[in-house]
Amino acid sequence: MKTKLLILLIASAAMLSAQTPTAQQIVDRVTAIMSPENSYSKGSQTIITSSGKERVFEFESWAGGKGESSLTRYTKPAAIRGQAFLMLNNADDIWSYFPRTKRVRKLASHAKKQKMQGSDFTYEDMGGGDVFQKKFTSSILGEETKDGELVWKIQMIGIADQEPPYPKIIMWVRQSDYYPVVLDYYDEKDFNSKTLLLSDIQIIESYPTAMTMVMTDNKERSSTTMRTLEITYAWEPPKGFFSERNLKK
Amino acid sequence: MKFWGIFLLLPVLVIAQPEFFGYFESEADVMQLGSESYNFGYNKFRLDVEARPNDHILIGVNISAQQYWGQTTWNLLDFIPDFGYLPEHEINIALPDTMLLDNIYMKLSFPLFDFTFGRQQISPGVGYAWNPTDIFNSKTLLDPSYEQTGIEALRLDIPLGNRSSFIAILQPEAELNRSTQQYVFKGGLGSFDFSLTGSFQERVDYTVPILGDLDIKERKMVGGSLVGELLGWGLWGEFSTNDLEMQSPFAVFDYNSLSPLTPLPDQTFTEYVLGTDYTFDNSLYFLGEYFHNGFGVMKREDLAPIDYFAALGGASHSLMQDYIFLYTMHPTFDFVSMSTLVFANLNDNSGTFAPQLDWNAFEDTNISLQGSLFWGDDDTEFGLQDWGLRLRVRSDF
Repeated sequence: MKTKLLILLIASAAMLSAQTPTAQQIVDRVTAIMSPENSYSKGSQTIITSSGKERVFEFESWAGGKGESSLTRYTKPAAIRGQAFLMLNNADDIWSYFPRTKRVRKLASHAKKQKMQGSDFTYEDMGGGDVFQKKFTSSILGEETKDGELVWKIQMIGIADQEPPYPKIIMWVRQSDYYPVVLDYYDEKDFNSKTLLLSDIQIIESYPTAMTMVMTDNKERSSTTMRTLEITYAWEPPKGFFSERNLKK
Repeated sequence: MKFWGIFLLLPVLVIAQPEFFGYFESEADVMQLGSESYNFGYNKFRLDVEARPNDHILIGVNISAQQYWGQTTWNLLDFIPDFGYLPEHEINIALPDTMLLDNIYMKLSFPLFDFTFGRQQISPGVGYAWNPTDIFNSKTLLDPSYEQTGIEALRLDIPLGNRSSFIAILQPEAELNRSTQQYVFKGGLGSFDFSLTGSFQERVDYTVPILGDLDIKERKMVGGSLVGELLGWGLWGEFSTNDLEMQSPFAVFDYNSLSPLTPLPDQTFTEYVLGTDYTFDNSLYFLGEYFHNGFGVMKREDLAPIDYFAALGGASHSLMQDYIFLYTMHPTFDFVSMSTLVFANLNDNSGTFAPQLDWNAFEDTNISLQGSLFWGDDDTEFGLQDWGLRLRVRSDF
């Protein structure tokens, strides 16, 4: 009798576990889905300021090592054509290249929190990889429905000695495919300073991919829309691709 | 070098479906120098042409046309204090309208190395306002990040890993043994980047009209740089140790008779720059640099006209020994940023305060207005001038 009860308990726990993953398991799955081994994309970035003024940028971007390394090169507008950013070690090391002066500059960590080309994305926001896994502890706040999809509401609290990019992030993750649809970023005063909306999620080469991402700065009331114009996950980085040599090409 | 470059590269450019881009820049300046006020400026058109016939070849040509207006001839003697014994002559430098191939180069990328030949921009060093390891260019403190003109050179880049590389630069002269050589090893150490540099220059001539030449027979330089951060602040340092063998029998002039008098002694000196930067939470960016130049003059009373000419002509990175450079920038409004430059000569207590407003008026058009106020006695480096105003409009395409 005791043995039957134990088997029943284990089976129930296993079923429960299969149905309700832990917060960490959800974050692990999100990280895996959001960080394919490699990618190459072309995109546009539209900045709308609080006064309604608009600027449009276009860029090419390469990522490798599940987001550990990336290289972004602007193609438009003409004034910044050729400016490029190389990020290694999940954006812990960033170099920028200015074609007019042919100079490469290493950015210190203070600069990583700055707006990239005046947009609402910081350099850190653009760096992918395992930041959510390594720099935050997660917990499930509950389940909700967003745009007809059942989602988990995950709270991620930054681990102080890991220098997290934000003290707190609340993330809504679709239960159907573990893809995040909304992220609220909080500052030190626990104010929801920025919100990222991911939409037009398409399956590209078996990876769900948000073709549109809108980052809104809730303090300055500005927003930046990042659109993916072209993307492939089949790209393989040649040896030495993520290097200063390639940054200057 | 110019001619074979043009003949070799232009036909390739035509058939390689090049990309065209560039900018138009117009500048208007007012400067108060003693009791005189000067108006001047320029209109500049730069066309950049780039072609990539395949993944291994990049061909670049930059054509620059510049037309000056207003005051286009400057008397160098207006920019140095009255030493009492200088000739009554005017030492005039004219700025003629120019149209030139600023850069014309081809970069060949092989799996193990890149080879670039032709007239190309070379910008060594990590300093913002000063670069002790840069033997090719000189910077203007009021605009240190302005693009440099091209250098006729052969350049070899050998990557030795993601963060390490070896660079060899040869600036060829008519006689091969007079060619300037520079060798750089770059590497990474934790979150720091470093470089080691060695240079050799044979016979560098800095011609000063009427007064003659400041000739360096041979220059050897070893140096290096380090870039990283501490407690979130960006930190960098760059240094060089130089050995100058001066051209004999040159020459400190007897300015009364305008004839060479005594040879300048050989010089061994060190230059270094230390810098830091930080961006505060309110987006205010701060940068500061301290520069020491052992080739500069320590005391004001030891200055001679030749020191001014060496600094103005690019033979020395500065007139005196110790300088400070401070820069702050804040994106104050949508597409409008306010910045301030302050630089000072710590040896003669003169300096410049230059506030600037930059407005990204349209997507590819920037308008900047810079004022400059100079302080110091009338016989000091920056105190010679009183104030200036600069309006610059630039449209990229």
